Amino acid sequence: MNNNIKGYVSFVLHAHLPFVHHPESDDYLEEQWLFEAISETYIPLLKNFQKLVDENVDFRITMSMTPPLLWMLDNKLLQQKYINYLLDHIELSKKEVKRTVYDERLNILSKYYLEKYSEDLHIFKDIYNCNLISGFKKFQDLGVLEIITCGATHGYFPILYINEKTVRAQIAVGVQTYKKYFGKQPRGIWLPECGYVPEADKYLREFGIEYAITESHGILYADPTPIYGTFAPIVSPDGLIAFGRDIESSRQVWSSINGYPGDFNYREFYRDIGYEADYDYIKPYIAHDGVRVNTGIKYYRITGKTENKDYYNLQWAKDSAERQAGHFFDSRQNQINGLSLYMDKPPIILCPYDAELFGHWWYEGPYWLYILFKKIYYDKCNFKLITPGEYIDKFPEIQISSPCRSSWGANGYNEVWLNPTNDYVHKHLHVAGDRMVELARTYPNTSDKTLKFALNQCARELLLAQSSDWLFIITNGTMVDYAKKRIKDHIGRFTKLYYQIKDNNIDKNFLEEVYKKDRIFDEIDYMIYY
Amino acid sequence: MPRTTKEAKSKLEEAKKTVKNTSKTRAKETGKTTTTKSTTTKKSTSSKATATKKSTTRKTTTSRTNAKRKASNAARTTKKESVTSLKKVKTATPEDFSVLEYYDLPNEYNKTTVKLLAQTPTTLFVYWNISDEDKKTYIKDYGENFFEITKPVLIVYNDTMNYSFEIEINDFANCWYLNVNDSKCKYRIELGRRPINNGTIQNNSIKFNTNYIYIGASNQIESPNDHILFDKNQKTVYFKNIKTNNISSKSINFSYIRKIGKIYNIYDMYKKFYKNEIIENFDLSNPSSSNPSSTFK
Repeated sequence: MNNNIKGYVSFVLHAHLPFVHHPESDDYLEEQWLFEAISETYIPLLKNFQKLVDENVDFRITMSMTPPLLWMLDNKLLQQKYINYLLDHIELSKKEVKRTVYDERLNILSKYYLEKYSEDLHIFKDIYNCNLISGFKKFQDLGVLEIITCGATHGYFPILYINEKTVRAQIAVGVQTYKKYFGKQPRGIWLPECGYVPEADKYLREFGIEYAITESHGILYADPTPIYGTFAPIVSPDGLIAFGRDIESSRQVWSSINGYPGDFNYREFYRDIGYEADYDYIKPYIAHDGVRVNTGIKYYRITGKTENKDYYNLQWAKDSAERQAGHFFDSRQNQINGLSLYMDKPPIILCPYDAELFGHWWYEGPYWLYILFKKIYYDKCNFKLITPGEYIDKFPEIQISSPCRSSWGANGYNEVWLNPTNDYVHKHLHVAGDRMVELARTYPNTSDKTLKFALNQCARELLLAQSSDWLFIITNGTMVDYAKKRIKDHIGRFTKLYYQIKDNNIDKNFLEEVYKKDRIFDEIDYMIYY
Repeated sequence: MPRTTKEAKSKLEEAKKTVKNTSKTRAKETGKTTTTKSTTTKKSTSSKATATKKSTTRKTTTSRTNAKRKASNAARTTKKESVTSLKKVKTATPEDFSVLEYYDLPNEYNKTTVKLLAQTPTTLFVYWNISDEDKKTYIKDYGENFFEITKPVLIVYNDTMNYSFEIEINDFANCWYLNVNDSKCKYRIELGRRPINNGTIQNNSIKFNTNYIYIGASNQIESPNDHILFDKNQKTVYFKNIKTNNISSKSINFSYIRKIGKIYNIYDMYKKFYKNEIIENFDLSNPSSSNPSSTFK
């Protein structure tokens, strides 16, 4: 530690999953997205935050936790399903410990997984009482974590904004959900997919949002040109503060070729006993219909550009993480030294990532963060960790400039969410949005209980249809059937209710069942569309 | 490690109850909407669709027996462990859902509409529809074969630079991607029709000859900017103190511009670095979404 602070580094981890909740069946593999993220990302992050706090390391990190993720983490049924998932994994790991006695290196790993999943169960059930939100909230209350919000269902603003009320509702419900779970007003927002449109600024301000995270060119192409580039925030004419992603540091982590996660000692994501073990042996632990899927038990390291993979070695992986944390640490120091020659205020290096990169894709990522944060605290260092909120409190003089319309998707604009594979969806989203506004205008402030329930459910269905995830999945080409089905289901349910409301013929039984399935945003008020 | 506690047991019991208590209800078909069919089966697709085994009924029964077997296995094999009290609890309650749901998206909403979105700074996306009622009106006004003797066109208006151009499209399309030259400009699009042979057509009701019939106009959008706006030649930059709302200004002198240049030079360096990357391997999956289905490599 020293006092010669020349700049700041701000980590922002975006934690998001689309709302997947199927009380009617256990067969949906997509529910496992949540369970994998809990075991591989959320619990490891919480564990490492706790370790840092226990070791009295002063650190700062920012996380966005999206409303669908919060609602899923709070959902009793999904909590129980996660416990079932862990029980399966513990059972499988035990079998693995027996099966792998023939090779000591393998056996060490089997035992590691048995211990890991048992510990997950303990942390989940006994420490956090099945609700991880309380864990994240604890670190926010301790002052080391700043949690920000997101659009209600991760709806992509650059597509929705041609009906501005639908963007306003995404923001309103995002803020409402945040307040419900964290008991205070969010200061910042992670714009879904970093999709920035200036039309949203006034609504973000209306609901008390101070700052947003944008892609690098959201700042670099801003008007007028920001004099500090991405190394200081800008404030839009409507008063929204925008931070831009630092290019150099994000490439170091993300690059497919020389990014950190590709280190040869790291765990190989694509080798999983779900695909490799004897079929009859693994069958109870893969998809219910017998399709092989990831189990999370992986025994190999990346090794190199070869199919001939070597066994994973826990210590080697840690060594690599430590080496890379050192590299990142040195690179930021050099970067800040260079920048301080050209800037008359301390730069902020903003490092936003998908939270699920840490642990799920890059298994060693949470450990890397832990080591890095310790280094920043203990070693001689010219920068400090900071949250965007703290930075604007410290440096409230901000250049006025309009951020550039942008996103963090491929090529920086809207192609991922608007291209020939998924462009058939948009008219349905737009029509449903217009119809929702029409409903709110036709039946304002109703006191009829059933009608109100139906109108609120319409709002839920519309929001769920708007998740950017479905469009992304269609573009990406995996799990496409599920994404298409979800769009059809939510637009279908919305449309059915829309006509039932207009015909004054609401089917209560249908309404209740749909609510049971799409159990999100209990407190929503359809009047946000008025 | 977890301990066996009564509390944990009762919590699980409680969870079980809440699942079971959800009311059982009978399905009533309303059959009123255009988008629902009551006869089709409930589960159509999911990731399972890729599976080789397809029988829905069998699937449910096997999964249930699997679950049971697994649960009892778990109980047996974990006897000595501290997690013994935890048993898998039934989590799927298909019996609570009696409404059969199946939906298709309608092809059109039968409303005359033209909507415009920007895909990139220089690619616009427009989709449109003409309602049956409007179609009838055109036929009434211009004759039975109106849609055969005219062709659709899109007129693109750049309202920032004040120019427009027209492109011919066809009646098989209901949406179009079109290139424009200028980023960071406001655009509108008008959908219209012209006589096929560049002649004129007569409006029967008002006895008027025309070579263009207006159908609909889109919303206005601004295409994104795609470059650093250095050329603005700005002498002053403005700052706002977001705590006090005071506005202050700073004049930019030569040394300042040099400094900014350095900062942006660093950026240009990165841009070159970007170009050497194999982008296609990387971009779609990352970092465009946090979805675990992305294929980070």
